[in-house]
Amino acid sequence: MAGRGKLIAVIGDEDTCTGFLLGGVGELNKNRKPNFLVVEKDTSITEIEETFKSFLARNDIGIILINQFIAEMIRHAIDGHVQSIPAVLEIPSKEHPYDASKDSILRRAKGMFSADDFR
Amino acid sequence: MGLSELEECSLSLDGKLLRFMEQLESLEEKQAALNSLIEQGWFSTSKARYSMGNKQVSALQYASEIEPLVCVHTRTLDNGEVEFCTERVTQSTETGTNVKSIEEIGPQEEGVRRRNKPKNVVAEKKGNDEASSVAAPEVTPVKRSEQNPQQDPLRWFGILVPQALKQAQSSFKQVIELSAEIATLQTAVLNSREELKSCMKDKHILQKKTSAARVEQTVK
Repeated sequence: MAGRGKLIAVIGDEDTCTGFLLGGVGELNKNRKPNFLVVEKDTSITEIEETFKSFLARNDIGIILINQFIAEMIRHAIDGHVQSIPAVLEIPSKEHPYDASKDSILRRAKGMFSADDFR
Repeated sequence: MGLSELEECSLSLDGKLLRFMEQLESLEEKQAALNSLIEQGWFSTSKARYSMGNKQVSALQYASEIEPLVCVHTRTLDNGEVEFCTERVTQSTETGTNVKSIEEIGPQEEGVRRRNKPKNVVAEKKGNDEASSVAAPEVTPVKRSEQNPQQDPLRWFGILVPQALKQAQSSFKQVIELSAEIATLQTAVLNSREELKSCMKDKHILQKKTSAARVEQTVK
């Protein structure tokens, strides 16, 4: 049963959310709280950040998928998350292709070759 | 003595670096595959929208009750890495119950037939004793009106949806599986990075020690 495992949360534009919900990741819990956020033009950054933080705080979420252009808006919050669970994955969106140089994880991995590591 | 330690440290550092590079390469490959699958999914969604109508396949059509059909199991390995694997709730169990409910129609009809013949109850009872004893455990109230909460999300968008939407669904299903693999790789990369950093520091300390020993030797 799906209840025992963890959920996959999505923060993305309408097409991304629709796609992943088609895939079967969506959930509306007993408190009618969804595990996804459809980001539209009028969605504020505060709302996105609060949702992201609420997903981080939920212990039933294992992976958070977020469009990279949205991740850019709340980069400080994403960089501040260093735990393995939930894992944060940056994915492309229709209008913004994926850029590996912006990815939080890859930037952290690149960071190991910085001068600080040799001190 | 110090030199051999340094050599050992260098060798293990080389091994870790190679492993780290392999992980990064694999991560990049999987990211590329994920991106192309997502693109494919969007393309199929757009095709479905083209045939269904502009306003179709949107957030307005999400069901009021949404149950997850896929979940992620996490497992922390000994070396600190976390493994993510997806598990899909198969629809086969639901179809199984449906088949059962169809089979259970038989005994129910028999019950109705018996009600029309109240005079021959005793005789019939004797005759059907064996049959009823077999059928008895099967006579259970069938919950026909029970809604299936785990319905296929495709149904949100209509009963007869275009093939393109089904293709989009299968693309996104693959994306979900791939995203679990990427999440595993990400934690592995970060873990390797930490190992490398500590190994580099050790090597640095050893290098300092050996160079100090050499200086001492040359002075003597």
